[in-house]
Amino acid sequence: MATRSTELKQDGAPLPLKASGISRNRYIANMRKHWMLYLMILPGILFYVVFKYVPLAGSVIAFQDYQIFKGIWGSPWVGLDNFGFIFTYQDFYNVLRNTAVIALYQLLFGFPAPILLALLFNEIRLMVAKRVVQSLFYLPHFLSWVVVGGIVFELLSSQGVVNAVRGWLGYEPILFMQEAGYFRTIVVLSSIWKEVGWGTIIYLAAIAGINPNLYEAAVMDGAGRWKQTIHITLPTMFPTILVLFLLQIGNFLELGFDQIFNLLTPMTYSVGDIIETYVYRAGVLQGQYSMTTAIGLFQSVIGFILLWIFNRLARKTDQGLW
Amino acid sequence: MKATFGEKVFQTLNYVFLIAAAATMLFPLVQLLAVSFSSPVAADSKEVFLLPVEFTTASWEHILKNQGLWTSFGITVYITVVGTLLSMLFSVMTAYPLSRREFLLRKPVMLGIVLTMIFNAPMIPFFLTVRELGMMNSLWALILPGLIGTFNMIIIRTFFMGIPGELDDSARMDGCSDFGILFRIYLPLSKPVVATVSLFYAVGYWNTFSRAVLFIRDPEKWPLQMKLRAYLQSPEELAAVNMFLGDFDFNTTTLKAATILFATIPIILVYPYLQKYFVKGSMLGSLKE
Repeated sequence: MATRSTELKQDGAPLPLKASGISRNRYIANMRKHWMLYLMILPGILFYVVFKYVPLAGSVIAFQDYQIFKGIWGSPWVGLDNFGFIFTYQDFYNVLRNTAVIALYQLLFGFPAPILLALLFNEIRLMVAKRVVQSLFYLPHFLSWVVVGGIVFELLSSQGVVNAVRGWLGYEPILFMQEAGYFRTIVVLSSIWKEVGWGTIIYLAAIAGINPNLYEAAVMDGAGRWKQTIHITLPTMFPTILVLFLLQIGNFLELGFDQIFNLLTPMTYSVGDIIETYVYRAGVLQGQYSMTTAIGLFQSVIGFILLWIFNRLARKTDQGLW
Repeated sequence: MKATFGEKVFQTLNYVFLIAAAATMLFPLVQLLAVSFSSPVAADSKEVFLLPVEFTTASWEHILKNQGLWTSFGITVYITVVGTLLSMLFSVMTAYPLSRREFLLRKPVMLGIVLTMIFNAPMIPFFLTVRELGMMNSLWALILPGLIGTFNMIIIRTFFMGIPGELDDSARMDGCSDFGILFRIYLPLSKPVVATVSLFYAVGYWNTFSRAVLFIRDPEKWPLQMKLRAYLQSPEELAAVNMFLGDFDFNTTTLKAATILFATIPIILVYPYLQKYFVKGSMLGSLKE
């Protein structure tokens, strides 16, 4: 690293040019000397501008009456009309409620699951067993939601395994996927099934970084496994937990289109239709671009406000994202 | 150290719980496999669990004759191969300058990229942008809009930052350019991370779904996951025969099971390689930023 920092001094130090344009000249000199680096990153920057920032800026159509043939530059501005419209719209409240309720369940049950699982993994002493069990837990992460949705439908169908077991126990079969009452449970359970193993990796990395001396000292003091977990392992995981919690809060209303889209049936729309599936149907399929963009913008703003609030709270106790 | 009685009980329960839970990760796939090789009568009478009942290969023979499924399979193989190559090329080309201290725009560019992880592009403007670019019904719509995965790129960048600077200093003395250093020195040194990230990209392309929902309207160009969904929604198309005319050794249940597995088998085949690398790889990414 020492060589690099001297190199930095040579490159980074202002060249002996006029004092006024130092900073600009510094960039020009840097660009001249390392033009290849700039050339190399150009496609990447272009990618982020075109596919990330242009759509972000394109959100302004939420304030327009966007018409496809007039485009962004020709469509008339309508101020907050689209937002006024969605708040008088019954469908919007329904979709918003579904999204918020499922998001809350995901936070309550889906978020702690990998933390608990990582702690349980940490208690396995037999390395072979640990490796095998972990490999199995990571597998579903790599399956698509179409496949997982297909599996869920098969397992819960009238001929499926779950109803077979109910039959042995003398219960009537239930058409789980067609009943509104089960939909949210199925969403939460299927996403835990798919992602819980994968979610442990980052926590296991935090646990692996714990200094073994801490545990030895705790054993000296007569602490058992339980006390070691409570007083050493969990506190060390806390910063990681906090960062992941804040990231989930920031994307609170973004549940993932793929999962819901593949689990939803017309019979479960009343409880399962979320912002993303609604925006897809009303926006992409029916062409109500401005109204659905307003909904999307509302969703992002809620996420950002929540992130800001929780980040402030987090900073008071310990540390936040910024 | 001696374990207390309570700890021993916990250890036992922990093993029982984890092994049972791990089994549920595999069970649905095993059960589907058993159903796909069972007779329709057995499949519909809730008899099939871990092993096929009244073994028959009729379902597999039937779906493997399905031209539409193979077309979609071909499309998915194509976007997986081309997409992974392009994604890797542009990811390393973005990661390399961002790992160099002498690249003055390193910090602002990095910030701009990380911000896109917090502020996702909303669905409709994203859809309109890609459509404006003329990519509707083009397979490029399945590749270019997701060309660089930010998380993957950061994993590569973190690995590059750990490569000692002395190596490229000496290469530079020998007249090596930045492209030369990247492709002749950095990439050969980064085999594990390149393998990990390539597999991440490949799995991502294989599982491409929502972008196809948005951009591919022409069923002839559907990737495998789209085709699978269509068949799961209307399995009678998969059967493509009138089930009431004649006696078949398959029905929609066994055909659906075989089709789900057909779309999953490549993932399961690469999984042993995948999981050998990814734990290490994704830990690398979590260390910085």
